[in-house]
Amino acid sequence: MAQTDSPGGTVSRRDFFKTVGATSLATGVLGAAEAEAQTAGPTAFGPGETPVRLLVNGRVHNLNIEPRVTLLDAVRVRVGMTGNKRVCDRGTCGACTMIVDGRTVYSCSTLAIETQGKQVRTVDGLGTSTTLHPVQEAFCATDGMMCGFCTPGFVVATVALLEKFPHPTEAQARRELDGNVCRCGTFNRVLEAAMLAGRPQAVASSDTPGEIVESEVNRG
Amino acid sequence: MANRIPQRPPVPTESTEAAVKYAWTVPGTNSPLSTSVRRVDGPLKTSGAAKYTYDILRPGMLYGRAVRSPHPHAKIVSIDLSAAQRAPGVKAAVIWKDPGSEAMYHGDVVAAVAADTEERALDAARLAEVRYEVLPHFSREAKSMAADATQVFASGNTRAGRLQEVGDLDVGFKNAAHVLEATYSTQVITHVCLETHGAVCEWNGDNLTAWVSTQGVHATRQQLARALMVPESNVRVICEYMGGGFGSKVAADAPVVLAARLAKDAGVPVRMMLDRKEEHLDSGNRPSAFSKIRAGVSADGQLTAFDGTTWGSGGAGQGAGFPLPYIYQFPNRRRSHTDVFINAGNQRPMRAPGHPQGCFATEVLMDELADLVKMDPLAFRLKNLPPQASNAMWGEYYRIGAQRFGWDKRHPTGDTTPGPIKTGMGLSANQWGGGGRSGNAHVDIMADGSVVVKCGTQDLGTGTRTLLPIIAADMLGLPVNAIRGEIGDTNLPFAGVSGGSTATAGIAPAIRIASGLARDALFARVAPTLGVDPSTLVASDGRIFANNDPSKALTWKAACKLLGAEPISVDGKWEPGLSSVNSSGVQFAEVQVDIETGIVKVLRVLALQDCGLVIDRLTAESQVYGGVISSINYALFEDRLLDRNTGQMVNPNMEQYLLASMSDVPQVEVMLMDQPARGVIGIGEPPTVPTASAITNAVRNATGATIRSLPLHPHRVLEALAQAGMGGTSA
Repeated sequence: MAQTDSPGGTVSRRDFFKTVGATSLATGVLGAAEAEAQTAGPTAFGPGETPVRLLVNGRVHNLNIEPRVTLLDAVRVRVGMTGNKRVCDRGTCGACTMIVDGRTVYSCSTLAIETQGKQVRTVDGLGTSTTLHPVQEAFCATDGMMCGFCTPGFVVATVALLEKFPHPTEAQARRELDGNVCRCGTFNRVLEAAMLAGRPQAVASSDTPGEIVESEVNRG
Repeated sequence: MANRIPQRPPVPTESTEAAVKYAWTVPGTNSPLSTSVRRVDGPLKTSGAAKYTYDILRPGMLYGRAVRSPHPHAKIVSIDLSAAQRAPGVKAAVIWKDPGSEAMYHGDVVAAVAADTEERALDAARLAEVRYEVLPHFSREAKSMAADATQVFASGNTRAGRLQEVGDLDVGFKNAAHVLEATYSTQVITHVCLETHGAVCEWNGDNLTAWVSTQGVHATRQQLARALMVPESNVRVICEYMGGGFGSKVAADAPVVLAARLAKDAGVPVRMMLDRKEEHLDSGNRPSAFSKIRAGVSADGQLTAFDGTTWGSGGAGQGAGFPLPYIYQFPNRRRSHTDVFINAGNQRPMRAPGHPQGCFATEVLMDELADLVKMDPLAFRLKNLPPQASNAMWGEYYRIGAQRFGWDKRHPTGDTTPGPIKTGMGLSANQWGGGGRSGNAHVDIMADGSVVVKCGTQDLGTGTRTLLPIIAADMLGLPVNAIRGEIGDTNLPFAGVSGGSTATAGIAPAIRIASGLARDALFARVAPTLGVDPSTLVASDGRIFANNDPSKALTWKAACKLLGAEPISVDGKWEPGLSSVNSSGVQFAEVQVDIETGIVKVLRVLALQDCGLVIDRLTAESQVYGGVISSINYALFEDRLLDRNTGQMVNPNMEQYLLASMSDVPQVEVMLMDQPARGVIGIGEPPTVPTASAITNAVRNATGATIRSLPLHPHRVLEALAQAGMGGTSA
């Protein structure tokens, strides 16, 4: 496992639980030997707040959080970037999808502390509502959204899809977007958006919201 | 009495003077009306900038957490919140159900706490000491309604409905050449709103601001004020964006009231959003439905008789009615219904309440009857439909759809292709009332030419927000993006709950009339300058000009400049003549069934749907796509599973409570059947009614095995195949 010089280094979820177990055991049984036991093994964190340094959308955020806080909650509630949503909270629905070091993760099931030293990208960092990312533009063009609560996750997953396959086949797009769930039922138009954004010379971004769309993607 | 659709007073059909004056003109010249207009909040939603209730972060805000009954039925003996109150970070704790009262289902709220972080609130809730006296419970309808069942519910375990009778059943069965007896059933499903139910509440003295994920800001204000016993005028409810409701967010329910009470006690804002498990247990569901039917058909394919005994459960006290028979005409019929109570979370309206259940039993029965008289299911339906009318267009839509879908390529029941993969087609119809009858709107035209439309409705994701500028732009001759629409706040003019597909038909006439009055007020101010009679003026293409002398013209901006210090500020309300009720639609489905595994895959769906005047084609189509996908979920995946012994829901999550994802989604084609002359009707519910039935009929067509229960999980498909003497790996 790669070690970094950021505070606390990098721990996997398994290591985290292992150290928590070791710590409670040490406190209960070993007493004075605790410090020695800790220096021998991986560093233990928590259960109280501990400094965590996150790199989100290119900006550093120094937080004091309990080690059990997820990446999603750290970003949404502690950093205040609420673009990605919490829905299933179990790594199933994909509304929380973020890109960590180039790979999509379910941020609801990733501990914030284990993403230290890694590049985290969320929907909030892709574009603004006035300067949309081409993927966001495509979602607007095809109406790839309804209530919009799954949309940020789908947008991030589509960005990751296109980084992997710049011009995906429909089968590739379906597969890469299979980790996201929409309850309103926007799948057909989300798929259209992904295909539109992945088309060579995709998406003329001149259309603005409220403008009449003249595009074949609306013809079902 | 054909069914149990709630009866409402008839909609006035007489158009008012304003409705005549501002009648819809479609297609208009250069008008955005009925065209595909992008959702105005698309950029905010796709960039993550749209703020939902779940996203509201207030200074010093606490996190609320409910304490819920772990038992399906128990008397609350005592509640001790002192340990919870002493827990780190806890600032408030309140009791919801008093000792002595009963928790009626697993997940019934008992108390709540609020702490400075969500994690600490969860810890504290676990420290609440509630003593229960566990009582008998029922998790199955059959057990609860059994003659010797223990009485678990105060007013009885069941509630019988009125007997509905039309014609003479004996004559009907005498005229039948074939009689079929079968029982059809559909499961309980939950709404699974992606944004869970809840609120953020903040008091300022005696005034409350509540951000609520709700389908009705005004209705929520009324209920919240009553629950808290404060004047309605002291309460402001805001819902700018909300992550799905589907009928389940029409009331100020426990989390909303608790957030307000905890915030009052703590003296700081409190957020109380349900977690995924709570959302499944205690925020509504679509009731179960069972229909034991005996039906007769004449040798030439005429329906003659229908005798239905039905029951279902809407949980621990709610009804489970549904319309039956659905659409098709049985001249002689009888139907009796019984609501059965079980110890489970209560139902709430869910997308076309009752209709998917009644549609399923009827449409599957129709295919079985068609086979008995050896008729094509389409021809059989055409023979037994009510007479065609603008609100009953099934015959025409079936013919158009059949041609488009390639229905003539459908093989008779049972695909004879060798190998395990069988393909089949099915069809089904829907009906819905819709149509609103109230709503207010306000339009301001400012001297700088800017325009604001205000309406206290809310956008569930249906595209309501986008309708405001479209309707005003059409009237004022401006581009859609030149107009600002404001919704989702009780500080805006009253609009009703967005439910029953009534929102658009309620507010669109109000916006139309308010925009018309605003335009005419502007004409009156402009006319003297142009030296013309106001009645000759036209607003189009960003200009105002006399229709008999186009040289007498002003740009929109120049015209508005004449307003000086006093803007135009007018109100409009819903009036009869611009909207209508009752819509119809049909759907076709093609499926593939693997008879070795029992897995059903939907290949394609065609949906024909009318909704009167279409305002935004793009978002209206999205609603039909969404309805179809929801119904695929109902057909193939969703099932709320209660453990029969413990009464606990065993899949209160999203990994075992299954929903479609991208690979499960078929090709869907949407055909909106425009009826502009009827005015606005609404389209949220009807498209979700028939897909599940069409799929079930397609599976029957593919395999020859009849499945009379949803969902079509592989084990159920294999069971039906085995009964029909086919399928499995040895087939």
